[in-house]
Amino acid sequence: MKSRGWKSATADLFADGSTDGRLTEALPAIVAEARPAILRGVPQLAPAVVRPRPKQLWYAVVFPDLMEPQRLAAPAASTLQRLCLCAQQFTPLVSIEMPNALLLEIKGSVKLFGSLAALHAAIEAAWGRLSLRAHAATAPTALAALWLARAGKPACIEDSGQLAGGLAELPIACTSWDPAWLQTLRAMGITRIGELLRLPRAGISRRLSPAAVLDLDIALARQAAPRRAFVPRVRFRERCDFETEIETVVYLQKALEPLIERCAQFLRERQAGVQSLELGLRHRVIPVTRVRLGLATITSERRRLTDVLDEKLNRLELAAPVRGMELKSGSLQPLPAGSLDAFAGMGGGRGLRAGGVCAGNTAPQLVERLRARLGEQAVYGVVFVPEHRPEAAWRRVHELRLTPAVRAGERAGGMRVSEMRRPVWLLDEPVLLAANLQHLCQEGSILEQGPERIESGWWDGKDVARDYYIARQARGARWWVFQQRQTRCWYLHGMFA
Amino acid sequence: MALADILADARVWKLKDASAAPSRPVWSTGRSALDARLPGGGWPTASLIEVLLETTGLGEVQLFLPALVKCQQRIDGEVPWLVWIAPPHEPYAPALAEYGIELSRLLVVRPASATEALWAAEQALSSGVCAAVLLWLQGTDDRWLRRLKLAAEAGGALGVLFRPERHRFESSPASLRLLMTQGEHETQLELVKVQGGRPGPVEFRAS
Repeated sequence: MKSRGWKSATADLFADGSTDGRLTEALPAIVAEARPAILRGVPQLAPAVVRPRPKQLWYAVVFPDLMEPQRLAAPAASTLQRLCLCAQQFTPLVSIEMPNALLLEIKGSVKLFGSLAALHAAIEAAWGRLSLRAHAATAPTALAALWLARAGKPACIEDSGQLAGGLAELPIACTSWDPAWLQTLRAMGITRIGELLRLPRAGISRRLSPAAVLDLDIALARQAAPRRAFVPRVRFRERCDFETEIETVVYLQKALEPLIERCAQFLRERQAGVQSLELGLRHRVIPVTRVRLGLATITSERRRLTDVLDEKLNRLELAAPVRGMELKSGSLQPLPAGSLDAFAGMGGGRGLRAGGVCAGNTAPQLVERLRARLGEQAVYGVVFVPEHRPEAAWRRVHELRLTPAVRAGERAGGMRVSEMRRPVWLLDEPVLLAANLQHLCQEGSILEQGPERIESGWWDGKDVARDYYIARQARGARWWVFQQRQTRCWYLHGMFA
Repeated sequence: MALADILADARVWKLKDASAAPSRPVWSTGRSALDARLPGGGWPTASLIEVLLETTGLGEVQLFLPALVKCQQRIDGEVPWLVWIAPPHEPYAPALAEYGIELSRLLVVRPASATEALWAAEQALSSGVCAAVLLWLQGTDDRWLRRLKLAAEAGGALGVLFRPERHRFESSPASLRLLMTQGEHETQLELVKVQGGRPGPVEFRAS
């Protein structure tokens, strides 16, 4: 027999506050599990239905005001998120149901607040303080509670056995199903959930959709329906104002140090790192100067943050004196295991500095520093592409694999790519050398090796038909040249540097 | 003044010691004629090598490719990085793969100016994660070269600077200076300055 009960939800600290509580991914989730268990294994007995006690109690609250955007200062989604934060004082498991409802799992909080009535009173007082109209209902399943709340019925059903009875009187509109389905049901003369429940399942499934049957099962606790818990977005954000305006970058760097220190502390406490930061510099008149920086890998080390920020600031020309600044982190991400620097917070130094050289000690740090100063596009890697056309046989890569790599195995002489050697330098565009072989030889070239015929690429319109040679110049330089087969012209394509 | 005092002076440099026991590891050039002429028998690491070029295409990069492949084949696990700064053309991946360079550990840097290039080279050399840093420059002053040398010593990397031949008569802090010119038929290689060795032309055939 499969194990029953529900898996406890692990709050995902790092998920960006999701706006919709409907679960799209597997975990983390609150899994409601209350399907009647059928006992088997005793053949002489008729199958007995054991109804488990509800393990969950959901409090659903619908805010009709949120449907009227003109009455709101902020968009409904962000208002809901703020309400979620407020609701988290009652239970850690709060889920958003767009567009205007919240679902609170309150089973675990009843004991804390003394009784269900006391808990209800506390929650309702919270909505009252916000002067928001709220319709609330409580039921063992989230969907049933939501339907009750949408119908404006302040019901409190504690036993899942009473669910069907409690939902029977609700109008079908409270399901918020597809209007076409509701229209079909109304055409069939069905206006209440109770009437719907009396219909055969196969019929509902055929006329509406299997999803409708599933919804009913979920509402009646016959089917588990995991929901995603709301997780507040965690970011570091701190500002500081200067007593006097700062005009030079050097002082700015000094003033930034405590902010970075606090940011690193904030990240360490959460065992998390960031991959991007934004520094806003406020001026008296002109708009805020924003310095954005991306890091090659997730980090929480102060030294790296300082290094990269310093590099950016050194390149910055202050348009006006700075009155204050704000440091904002990007979204927090879990630190990759093993990258925690036990001594990151100690030492107090500004990194290893010797003779003006900032000694970074890992490849990501180096790449970051180079990119911070030279630009993202200026630092790249190259890869080999198996392709006959020389210009298509390689490609730049900007996403570098910066994690330590171990050589797979000893390779004696590298891989054999082609018949002829390839040059170290490849020109961006082939350069026309001569109109025919005679002219080429008059220039002093001697064809040492070749030809290697390359004829390929008819499928993408960049087809080539060339004969490649290695040509030694009169005084020793070696070039990679080719003859265009249609025009018979000779081109320089690479150099054996 | 006793002989011992003179020898203790940092400015006095003992040729015998330098050639007998190189304190730093060297990477073989892959050419025995050249190895024989270099103190320690190969390219010195943790120092700056300067290559003066008449033109590109003389096999100047190929001169270092065996050493670059070797230094990526360290036995102790991690593959170190190679950084090429401001190369005159695109490094052609198939050719490098053929030689055995680990392309996933090759970084190409294209700075906007010479100062940026020097800064990038200094960063890469001193970082300690790069086995070799190759830098192409049109011209630079002595002060910057000294900084590069210090950075190479700090990071233990092989630093190679390619410059046009016209800088030949300028002083340079590089511990090894090579001159590559076009000869009558073949490339000519000459050691202009060898710390702990003897300058002069080297028999050389571009492969």
